[in-house]
Amino acid sequence: MTGLEPPLLALRETIGEIVPDLRKRALAIDTAPADMAAHLGSPAFRAICDATVPKRFRSGPTVFDQFETRSYLARIVATVELSRGDPGVLTASPGPSLAGVVVDALGSEEQREMFYRAVADGPLWTFFAMTEPDRGSDGTAVETTLTKSESGDYTLVGAKRYISNGARGAIGVVFARTGPSPLSLRAALIRQPAPGLTSRPLDMLGLRGAYLSELRFDGVRVPAGMVLGSHLPLSRRGTWGIARTFNIMRIHIGAMAIGLAYAAYDYVASCLPGAPGHHMQAARLDAARQLLYDAAAAADKDPDDAYRPSVAKLHCTALAIGVLRWAVVALGPGSLLAHPLLEKWRRDAYAFEFMDGTTNVQRLRIARTVETARSQR
Amino acid sequence: MTNRITACEQAGYLDGLAAGLAQALTDVEIVAAPGGTAAVPADWASDGETIPHSLAAREGVAFVRVPAATETTATLTELGVLLGAARLGATRRLADHAVAHLSGRTSGGEPTIRKQLVLGTLADLLTEVEALRVQLMVSAASAETVADVHHRITDLDWEAAKLLGASGYLADSPGRSCHVSELVANCWVAG
Repeated sequence: MTGLEPPLLALRETIGEIVPDLRKRALAIDTAPADMAAHLGSPAFRAICDATVPKRFRSGPTVFDQFETRSYLARIVATVELSRGDPGVLTASPGPSLAGVVVDALGSEEQREMFYRAVADGPLWTFFAMTEPDRGSDGTAVETTLTKSESGDYTLVGAKRYISNGARGAIGVVFARTGPSPLSLRAALIRQPAPGLTSRPLDMLGLRGAYLSELRFDGVRVPAGMVLGSHLPLSRRGTWGIARTFNIMRIHIGAMAIGLAYAAYDYVASCLPGAPGHHMQAARLDAARQLLYDAAAAADKDPDDAYRPSVAKLHCTALAIGVLRWAVVALGPGSLLAHPLLEKWRRDAYAFEFMDGTTNVQRLRIARTVETARSQR
Repeated sequence: MTNRITACEQAGYLDGLAAGLAQALTDVEIVAAPGGTAAVPADWASDGETIPHSLAAREGVAFVRVPAATETTATLTELGVLLGAARLGATRRLADHAVAHLSGRTSGGEPTIRKQLVLGTLADLLTEVEALRVQLMVSAASAETVADVHHRITDLDWEAAKLLGASGYLADSPGRSCHVSELVANCWVAG
């Protein structure tokens, strides 16, 4: 098991201090996810950005400078605590978000500098665009094309759907295909607005702060320098980086789910101390958080391992649904209307199922890992 | 009672959750709800008395404050049975949407509906619908058993909604009824 050293415990405690600010913005952002003016200068958004931008790109001294925040374990510790405030507010925040994970994995030093400087000069939203209409988040099924022209630049054509902050993101990562082979999947940095790029927010049932959006690319020009991974060997430019990114994303999704479940647990404890079943819920949550920490620590050593991230995502998303169901029953009939935060979290909890591989996708990945290991013996 | 259960399920299946709710509330004299909030068809409530909820409104359901019931009466248990049937009908309606959705998608070169994991989920879902319908018919006098049916319908709705993928998480998708159905049960069913 992965124990947290004192610096990570201190990081967790520091992030815990902004939980009340996250929590107090939760319902307003759920009601009006497009209206961000009142939140842009908030302690919550500032802290999220400070904690997720690498130290050397931060615009000034921050409380997070004393911590190592770049390991996967540190990021997961932070994500659980931030989501314990509210996962909707976390996903509504400006900052590098998951696009930063791709830039870290596939970007050249120059591209990282360009991306993180832009984010640090914000507030600025970013987006990670993989999922396509009718195709889901299956990287092998991507139909968006990135075609090289005689000038050496590229042209982007296609569409993406269910993209967090897609309609308000100023820069993001878009996955597209340069040809039919498995090695032809590439990621490109795209700025918005751009000629040929249109976007619109989608009206979702929950996690509405994420501002899930649809993006359409009708001949968007992409300078060659904006295509990620060109400095890497051919085998590491696309699919490899995507697989690595998805591994850490899955642990992140699990961390958001467990943070949300902790929030509901805390809420019930404050309304009804000693509610029936609370010991069991606490034990399950603490165990799930440990599972996440173990997966993140393992990813720091081997980011290409797909087994632990899928286990973490599968278990944590299901557990969050169960804890929210317990919370609704514990607070009794009429609780969903009497407690608007609980009603919002109940809706939010369903979102994690659809992010970066559904339950069935994770089940298949886990089973195939076992099958592959057996065939290699 | 069996005929009324069937009528509520059919209304929920053919015309949606609000229609099933209307059928369940017909001829049931209710003056109080366990949580102090009544879920009713939207056209039964006047504008000034409702608790605003945009997703429920789009599903044709409104919430109205009423006195809190201090005990689960036989009438409330009867309503719980009829409401369970209405929700089951809405679950079947959601499952139909899921089957249509998955039949129009392909995965790995074949229709997604033919994938074994999907077929397994669908079979479990339909089996649970059959079992819950019978439980409503044979256990109508027990508030605890009726509450059990409602909890299981909530879980079942989620299994059906998952089959729709992210498209079922859009506010105007059939998946919306899954959440509103739980809200309705949370108003009327204790335990």
